[in-house]
Amino acid sequence: MVTFGLGAFLLSSIFASLTYLGVRHVLVNNQQQSDLKQSYENAALIRSTLYTSPPELAKLLNSIQGATASNVLVQTHHQWLSKSSNAATADVSSAIIASVNAGHATDQTLDFNNQIIFVVGVPVPAVETQVYEVFQLGNLEHTLQVLLLYMGAGAILTTLIGMGGGLWVTRRAVRPLLEVSEAAALIAQGELSTRLVVTRADEEVQQLTESFNLMVSQLVERLERDARFASDVSHELRSPLTTLATTASVLNQHREELSSAGQESLSLLLADLAIFQSLVEDLLEMARSDAGAVPLAIETVKSIELVRQSVRSASRRHGLDEPPVEVRPDIGDPLVRVDRRRFERVITNLIDNAHRYANGAVAVRLTVEDGQLAVNVDDNGAGVPHEEREHVFERFFRGRAAHDRGIARGTGLGLALSRDHVLAIGGTLRVMESPEGGARFQILMPIVDEVHA
Amino acid sequence: MARILIVEDDDHIRTALRLMFEGEGFEVDDAATGEVGVALFGRMASDIAIVDVMLPGMSGFETSQHLRNASDLPIIIVSARDETVDVVLGLESGADDYVTKPFVPEELLARVKAHLRRRPDKSAKAFTLGDLHVVPDEGVVRQSDGSELHLTSTEFRLLTDLASMNGKVLSREDLLERVWGYDYFGDSRLVDVHIRRLRTKIEPDPANPIYLVTVRGAGYKLVL
Repeated sequence: MVTFGLGAFLLSSIFASLTYLGVRHVLVNNQQQSDLKQSYENAALIRSTLYTSPPELAKLLNSIQGATASNVLVQTHHQWLSKSSNAATADVSSAIIASVNAGHATDQTLDFNNQIIFVVGVPVPAVETQVYEVFQLGNLEHTLQVLLLYMGAGAILTTLIGMGGGLWVTRRAVRPLLEVSEAAALIAQGELSTRLVVTRADEEVQQLTESFNLMVSQLVERLERDARFASDVSHELRSPLTTLATTASVLNQHREELSSAGQESLSLLLADLAIFQSLVEDLLEMARSDAGAVPLAIETVKSIELVRQSVRSASRRHGLDEPPVEVRPDIGDPLVRVDRRRFERVITNLIDNAHRYANGAVAVRLTVEDGQLAVNVDDNGAGVPHEEREHVFERFFRGRAAHDRGIARGTGLGLALSRDHVLAIGGTLRVMESPEGGARFQILMPIVDEVHA
Repeated sequence: MARILIVEDDDHIRTALRLMFEGEGFEVDDAATGEVGVALFGRMASDIAIVDVMLPGMSGFETSQHLRNASDLPIIIVSARDETVDVVLGLESGADDYVTKPFVPEELLARVKAHLRRRPDKSAKAFTLGDLHVVPDEGVVRQSDGSELHLTSTEFRLLTDLASMNGKVLSREDLLERVWGYDYFGDSRLVDVHIRRLRTKIEPDPANPIYLVTVRGAGYKLVL
């Protein structure tokens, strides 16, 4: 926009200046030509008057002044013989007098106090006289000033129009880009159905819109294909995996009959089968969640009981110590809308993680933050470094903690699934630092009124 | 010695399950189809049945319905998908419990043992529920005309356990632990579906229950 304005200003200034100079040149020249002609005619008139009736000279000079608004001065033998009433000898410079005395008709343009005067000297050798006529170019000056004013105003107007036009053109050219960027942001947030609407007839914009939409469609198709693939693979794995796990457990029934190498191998087999099993379960759950295949079973529940029961079953399911549930006394017992099964899966995952990466959850704390129910699963482990706090929710992300220690491997999908579940019930899941200096995984859920429940 | 019926069309899984249950001391009858399974049950009088949902021919749901019509034995459905509609359909067809593939074999074993451990609580006192007279020591519910109302053992247990609380609330988790014998494998849908089935049998208007009521955010209670 500024560039456009600057460009317009430069162009209009150059144009105005050139025009002004050109017009001024032409006008001044024209005026001087006619003034010159006038001077010769007046000089001839003065010569004949000097011949016929010299006393009439002063009268003649004044009549010339009246007719042409020029001042006439007549000199003879280096003495001023006569002059019109407004004339001043100072207007005639010694340079021009010398030149005219030498017998050359001479003209000179003088700039007195910002007033242009045009002095013409004509020798009349027959009577040893020199006639000087001083023209005021005041009228011309006025015209030029008006012209300058208009040109300046024109330049400013052009600059403003340039800026406005620039703004308009920029907006028009940039708007589709803004729309693309907004759409891209929406898509990045997971609104995969976002498409651009073809509204404008501009060919370029239409092309951009169409290729953008095509790109998104192909991307979505590809995502769906990948998700379907993961889901298909997991489905196909279920039957052989069930056989494997069952057979391994049959082997385990006969553990005593195995050699020590056989027993050790069996232990490895059982341990990795358990991981394999969790992985397939998580993948299946993820595929279902991606496809939106499992409808939410939302119910309104009292939060304290919900959290207590979820913590209890989560701990028992994994044979872990049950962390205490601490409720901030002033929060009452807010109602929340949840899918119990999904909520419990999240709590299970968080408690399991605390056990895996820290020394277990020290407490599950209930409080209210910004009008939302906060369920904090706290541990006193090493915590999650700042740079990993967003990444831990990515699928198959392995942070420093997982590399540093000989940690029993998880599936790498737990937190990603948990975040999906929490989002599905309208909450948010994030990680921060616990009061003990470890990790705090916080579930935030909207509190519902009794009335709307 | 408990006798278990396994209906599963996948040879490998069926054989592995047979080996595992035999290893645990069960007498195992197995069938690759629902038809064979139902016929086997007629001859063998199994104590418990495991039925896969995806069967060729007669589906797992139908098979479980046939078994339920013939007996009160505990039935565990093996579902391929952990989707509410499958779980509900399985339980509605008369099954007492369900697991999803890939299941953890120890978990299935624990469930089977829990179901077999359950015995009706004969010590509970008899009580009346509207026109119904519940007699725990005989294990029957009599209607006003003297005829018996048929409840599965799970439904009967659910009813008597709630009655024993004298109007106090039992959470879903409590019910899982008391009726099914565990609370850490099950999910609340198991309780909800059985409560719904029980309501259709004992409530005058199952959509607006007056005896077996839901206490929001807490669980269920029986109003005597």
